[in-house]
Amino acid sequence: MNITLKCFAGLKRHLPPHAKANAAIVEVDAEMSVYQVIDFFKIDREEAYLVILNGVFVCPTERNSTILKDNDTLALWPEVAGG
Amino acid sequence: MALDKRMPGDMSDNDLLRYSRHIMLPEIDFEGQQKLLTAKILIIGVGGLGSPVALYLAASGIGEIIIADHDKVELNNLQRQIAYDEESLGQSKVASCADKMEKINSKIKVVQLDEKLTGQQLLSQVEVVDVVVDCTDNLTTRFEINQACVTHKKHLVSAAAIRWEGQISVYHCGDQNSPCYHCCYGMREGSREDSREELNQNCSNNGVLSPVVGVMGSLQAIEVIKLIIDKGDSLIGRVLLFDALSMQWETMQLPKNPDCSVCGRSC
Repeated sequence: MNITLKCFAGLKRHLPPHAKANAAIVEVDAEMSVYQVIDFFKIDREEAYLVILNGVFVCPTERNSTILKDNDTLALWPEVAGG
Repeated sequence: MALDKRMPGDMSDNDLLRYSRHIMLPEIDFEGQQKLLTAKILIIGVGGLGSPVALYLAASGIGEIIIADHDKVELNNLQRQIAYDEESLGQSKVASCADKMEKINSKIKVVQLDEKLTGQQLLSQVEVVDVVVDCTDNLTTRFEINQACVTHKKHLVSAAAIRWEGQISVYHCGDQNSPCYHCCYGMREGSREDSREELNQNCSNNGVLSPVVGVMGSLQAIEVIKLIIDKGDSLIGRVLLFDALSMQWETMQLPKNPDCSVCGRSC
């Protein structure tokens, strides 16, 4: 199945070469969980702290059980605490 | 003097002129400006974020602004902390920031807390204000501020910035259906063996683009004003994410975590 993977800030380096701006359509296996997709692209789970599936935050405790569907959009942002 | 007989929120001719560009806005009008003049807020941290928050809200006529910070102004602050200038070097941030705020607007009351606001002192200050603005630079303090706001059911306007990135949200800690800061970042609390990783998230370790804190701080000031005048759609339940390098904005819906250890059903 195809999903749109969006990576922001320092995570952008994980996007494939065909990415435009911060997003790329990527092919992943069906029934993959959020964490399986993050691991598939060799992204550090801690670094991708804010995980957003179709615009909604996915709590860390739900990232193993949340299964992606065809045409979903998964966006990843790092943690920010400075001020 | 006639000035002394006015009640908080009453406006002289000079006040009407000073705030005329607010009063022209139908969402603010005379009534909204009166609400701003009688509001009381707490700004924790007057660094990169806190500088624009403090200056814009002083200019906007917030009646009483408590500013808390225990730092002194250093040379490396001047790149982004716009409340300070070269004459501020070595001074306490709250004293220097209060001086700048009062030069902009001598009619407001600025309370200086030259200390690290924590524990009972934090709770006491949160209890007496309408809105709390988190402009601090570390997760530990942010968690404690969030807890205090949940305890006293206060609105919390929270932003953060680092490198080229910024994030902002508003937490309605008096609403049982609204998420709190811990619902979003709670898994970070106590998850590390030491504080090194957290410290690495500070601007001093990663750097930050000067205007990014200005953008995020200005957005905080906007959200504070909207809460006080009770107009518009606040960021409650949403986190706005900003990547300045690619100039992209994302909006993230943040559901309440029913198992949150701070605001969840067991609390």
